[in-house]
Amino acid sequence: MKTLAKKDLIETLTIWAQKHDVLCPTQTDPGDCIFDTFREKTFTLDYKKPPLSPKAVFFPHSEITFKVENNEYREVVSSKNTLIFGIRACDMMGILQATSFMSRDQKDIYYSAKRNMGMTIVMACPGPQNETCFCTTTHSGPFARKGFDLQFYDVGDTFLIEIGTPGGEALLSAIPLTDIDDTHAEQQIAKFQKKALRHLPEVKSVAKAMKKLKDDKADEKIWDSFGQKCITCGGCAFVCPTCTCFSVYDHQFSPGNGLRARIWDACLYGGFTKEASGHNPRASQALRLKRRHEHKLLHYNEIDIQGSLCGCVGCGRCSDYCPVHIGTLEVVKAIAES
Amino acid sequence: MGGDCGNIYDLRPVSIIRSLPQIKDHRLFQLKLEDGGTWESFGHQPGQFIEVSIFGKGEAPISISSPPTRPDTLEICVRRTGKVTDALFEMGKGSTFHIRGPYGRGFPVEQLKGQKLLFVAGGLGLAPLRSLLLYALDKRKEFDDIILMYGTNNPENVLFKYELLSFFDRDDIQYHYSVDRDDEGIWKQYVGVVTGLFDRAVLFPFATQVVLCGPPIMYRFVLQKLLSLNFPREHIFMSLERMMKCGVGKCGHCAFGDKYCCIDGPVFPFTEIEKMKEAI
Repeated sequence: MKTLAKKDLIETLTIWAQKHDVLCPTQTDPGDCIFDTFREKTFTLDYKKPPLSPKAVFFPHSEITFKVENNEYREVVSSKNTLIFGIRACDMMGILQATSFMSRDQKDIYYSAKRNMGMTIVMACPGPQNETCFCTTTHSGPFARKGFDLQFYDVGDTFLIEIGTPGGEALLSAIPLTDIDDTHAEQQIAKFQKKALRHLPEVKSVAKAMKKLKDDKADEKIWDSFGQKCITCGGCAFVCPTCTCFSVYDHQFSPGNGLRARIWDACLYGGFTKEASGHNPRASQALRLKRRHEHKLLHYNEIDIQGSLCGCVGCGRCSDYCPVHIGTLEVVKAIAES
Repeated sequence: MGGDCGNIYDLRPVSIIRSLPQIKDHRLFQLKLEDGGTWESFGHQPGQFIEVSIFGKGEAPISISSPPTRPDTLEICVRRTGKVTDALFEMGKGSTFHIRGPYGRGFPVEQLKGQKLLFVAGGLGLAPLRSLLLYALDKRKEFDDIILMYGTNNPENVLFKYELLSFFDRDDIQYHYSVDRDDEGIWKQYVGVVTGLFDRAVLFPFATQVVLCGPPIMYRFVLQKLLSLNFPREHIFMSLERMMKCGVGKCGHCAFGDKYCCIDGPVFPFTEIEKMKEAI
C-alpha cells in the first residue's frame, strides 16, 4: 500500500492544484472551517465538521441554466476539473445519494457535468467530530466504503492511501509516495477503524423511529408540536448533504432577454407545494416537517441510498444548526418515544 | 426528449394558432410547433402534460387537452391564475412562447381498450380527461360504452360547452351533466353535486374502468360513491394536481410519499395511492 508523508501534503496539493480546482479544509478569518480553493496559507488539517456539506460543488446554491436572448434559450452548463480533498465519509455518502438521484431516470446535465469532472478524496474520520455525529447508525461512516477516488487514513506522521478508482490511482502517479507492507497497512487501518467505530455508538432511536413510521405507529401529535416551533428558515435543508430540491426563476434584463436560473429550495416553505388554484396539499408546518423527515426516514428510494440505511447520512448538521432544535436526532428521538 | 442524451430541460418554440375563450378566465389555446417538428413526433399520450415557459414569468405545468389522434394541433385549456397564465392570456394569434414535454404517465390506454369507460370530471378537471375522451371517440370501435359525468359549480362555468352539446346528437356516448347551483333556473339537467349523477346512470361496475379528475373535494366523495357501488379498486384511475416545476422528477416540488407526481403520475391507479394520506 502507498503512503504519503504528512510533511509532503502541501507539495502534493500544489501538484494536484495544477490540473484541478482543489477544494480543501480552509481556515477562515473568523475561525470557521470551510471547503475552499487550496491555498497554502489557509489550508488546515486541524478541522472539525465543516458547517456546509460539499453538495454545493456539484449543485450550487444558485446557478444559471439558460441564457435568453430575444426569447431564444441557450443552455449554460458549467463545470471544471474539481478535486475535493478531505471530506468525511458522511459527505461522501451524501454525494453518492445526490448523484444517484440526479442521474437516474433522466439525467440532470447541470449536476452530472460537474460531478463527472469532480474527484473525491475522503479523510477517514477518527471519531465523532462533535456530539451530533451518527454516521455509524446510518451506515455511512466513519470511513467510506465506496464512491471515493482515494481515501486517506491519518495514522500520525503519514497517510495510508486506499485507492477507490482508476482515476484516483492516476492521481498518485505525480506525487511523492512511500510503499508500505500491505499486511502492516491493513492492520493499521483495521486498528484505526475499530477505534473510530468505538467512539461512535449507534443511535438506537433512528431504527426505532424508522420502524414506527413504517408501521404507521408514530404519534401524529409530535409533528404538531415541532410544527409550532419551526421558524421556517429552511436551514436544515440547506446544510443537508442529500437535500437537492430547487426552484427556478427568471432574471429579465429587458423583455425577452436575461437569465433563467435555479436556486436551492426547501420543502419547509409554505409555498413549496402550493398549487395555482390556491390549494396546498401540505398546508401546515406540521405536515411540511413530517414530509421532510419521512422523505429521509421512510420514503427514500432504495437505489438512491447507495447501501446506506436511509436518506439521511448521519452528519448531524440539521441538529447542529436548527435554531429551535428540530434536527433529525431530535425528531427520531421524539418519534421513538411517542 | 430526455433519456441519457441532451438536456432534459430543453425548450421548444410554439406559436398560438387560435386562442378560444371558454368561460371567464379560461381559454383554449391551439398551438403549433415552430421548430419544424410535428405533433405526431411529439408523441404525447392522453393524460400527459407540458410545461409552458414564458421567459420573465416562469414555467407552469398545463395538461394537454387534445388527443394524439388529432395531430394538427396541440390544445391546452388554461385557467388564468398566475404569472405565466396571465402572460399567456395577453398573447394572441401568432404569438410565440416555449414548451417542454410531453411529461408524465398518462392514462393506461391499452389497458382501457375494449372496456366500458366512465369519465368523472369536475370543473377544469375536464381538461386532462378530454384528451382521453376525444381519443376514445376517435377510436370509437376500440372501446365499449363511454359514459361522461361532468359537474361544474354553476351553468356559466361549463367548459367545452359546444362539444358537450354536440354529444346530444350522438348515440355512442352517454352524458350526464350537473351544476352545483342554478340560481337563475336556466339549467335543464341535474342540479346538485356530481355524485348525484350516479343515480341517473346505468352502470356495470365490474366491466367499467373509471377515470376521474377534479378539485380535491370531488375525489373524496366520488371515490366513496364508486366504492359503495362496488367498482373494483383497480378499475379507478385519477389524474392528480400538484405544483410541478421541473416536470422530470428533480426539483422535488410535486413529491408525496415515494412518488413524484410529474413522472410517476399525474395519472395514478387508485390502488397505488389509496393509502397515502396526502395524495389528494
